[in-house]
Amino acid sequence: MANPIVALRAYRDGLHLIIRPHLSIAEVEEAIQQEISRMNRSLAGTSVQIVLKCPALEEEDISLLRSKLQETYDLTVRGVEVADAPVLAPIAAAPTMHTISPATDSRDSRDGEISRVVPHTLRSGQTEEFPQGSLIIYGDVNSGSEVRAGGDIVVLGTLRGNAYAGMNGRLSAVIIAMDLAALQLQIGNYVTRPTVNEKPRGYPEIARIGAEDVIIVEKFVKF
Amino acid sequence: MGKVIVVTSGKGGVGKTTSTANLGTALALLDKTVVVVDADVGLRNLDIVMGLESRIVYTSMDVIEKQCELSKALVRDRRVDGLMLLAASQKNNKDDIQPEQMKAICDKLRTTHDFVLIDSPAGIERGFSNASAGADEAIVVTTPDVSAIRDADRIIGLLQNARIEPINLVINRFSPQLVGNGSMMDQADVLDILNIDLIGIVPEDSEVITSTNRGIPLVYEDASAGAQAYMRIARRLTGQRIPIPDFEQKGLLNNIMNWFKKKK
Repeated sequence: MANPIVALRAYRDGLHLIIRPHLSIAEVEEAIQQEISRMNRSLAGTSVQIVLKCPALEEEDISLLRSKLQETYDLTVRGVEVADAPVLAPIAAAPTMHTISPATDSRDSRDGEISRVVPHTLRSGQTEEFPQGSLIIYGDVNSGSEVRAGGDIVVLGTLRGNAYAGMNGRLSAVIIAMDLAALQLQIGNYVTRPTVNEKPRGYPEIARIGAEDVIIVEKFVKF
Repeated sequence: MGKVIVVTSGKGGVGKTTSTANLGTALALLDKTVVVVDADVGLRNLDIVMGLESRIVYTSMDVIEKQCELSKALVRDRRVDGLMLLAASQKNNKDDIQPEQMKAICDKLRTTHDFVLIDSPAGIERGFSNASAGADEAIVVTTPDVSAIRDADRIIGLLQNARIEPINLVINRFSPQLVGNGSMMDQADVLDILNIDLIGIVPEDSEVITSTNRGIPLVYEDASAGAQAYMRIARRLTGQRIPIPDFEQKGLLNNIMNWFKKKK
């Protein structure tokens, strides 16, 4: 699985070290270490551009990273830039941006994928299954009903029943609901029981497989 | 041509039979001609709640088996004009009747009466399909608790598949006190889940138990809150527009409590 916090990418102007939302600078360091050890050739002597796709880092954290990269990996930092930093503050301890894993597998691509629209509420005992693609429900998915899709599941109402996205094993599949109140969610072979809220949160939420290979549920911010 | 309305719920014990008896009686008190049909073959109760159990000679089973004419099987309620009961057989079980046979009975009854109310058994099996086979409309009875609501939701899905509409909701055993202290779902929560039209709310009323045991439907005695709620629903069924009163507890203390609850 791609590293959710740090990515090394080669661009025309050289290497970019992309840093996504994280909990601590130590986590970033560890992610850098993992990412560099994955490279099959040494990066020593090259330079990188740090691209922050997260709330801006403290000055001292940046200088720490700069010296760490220089000393440990012999990488020179060319510069630091902030790229489309999310406007919203992190919710609790969870990262704010959805790091949908890049299409490493042909199954992960959403290109040309077909979706099925369910133009009504699904009531208890009703199921809707669409292994060929994603499901969009123009209503609620009530307690006791089930939706299963090969791709993503989007509920334009309240999700109270069971939702199973990525039923063919696609781990990049997501579940989005205007009000996510499901008792159980499944993506690929991962299952979670989200915390049940007494009151609707008042904003849409997304469930996806996040860092540490667990399904996380957080406020939905557009991709 | 009369209307055939199935009274159903999915879950047992939420008040289908009580509602059928009271709505049937209330409609008759409003000068409509009504037949209440017990579709709970093998576990009949409507006759007891209506206080007519001693007068049953023939049942719907006898009509189906052509042992008697439909008109002879109808038991007249002597307390009010225009109210009849078609009892279910207690000896048979639900599989002894076909949905088409029930539909044929309903189609005959609708030519002679304004309203045919069918008391459906609990469950989603044969008994339910028999009860709903001849229905044009449905009344779904639920109590404001999660298990009854999930079952009601299931039943609404089945009724929609059978293209029975409108489907109206009765919220039974509604307790303003429990809603007030936050331990019962309120009307808005129930409607948010079930998303069908509300035709009435019947408040929790201990008179219901006494009236059931005595075999005298509540609506004969005007005074109780339950009787008034059923009378209002019956008026709505006849097409009158009557607003649903606000049962939620009022008062300064409650308003302050609610204000805090909303803040949470």
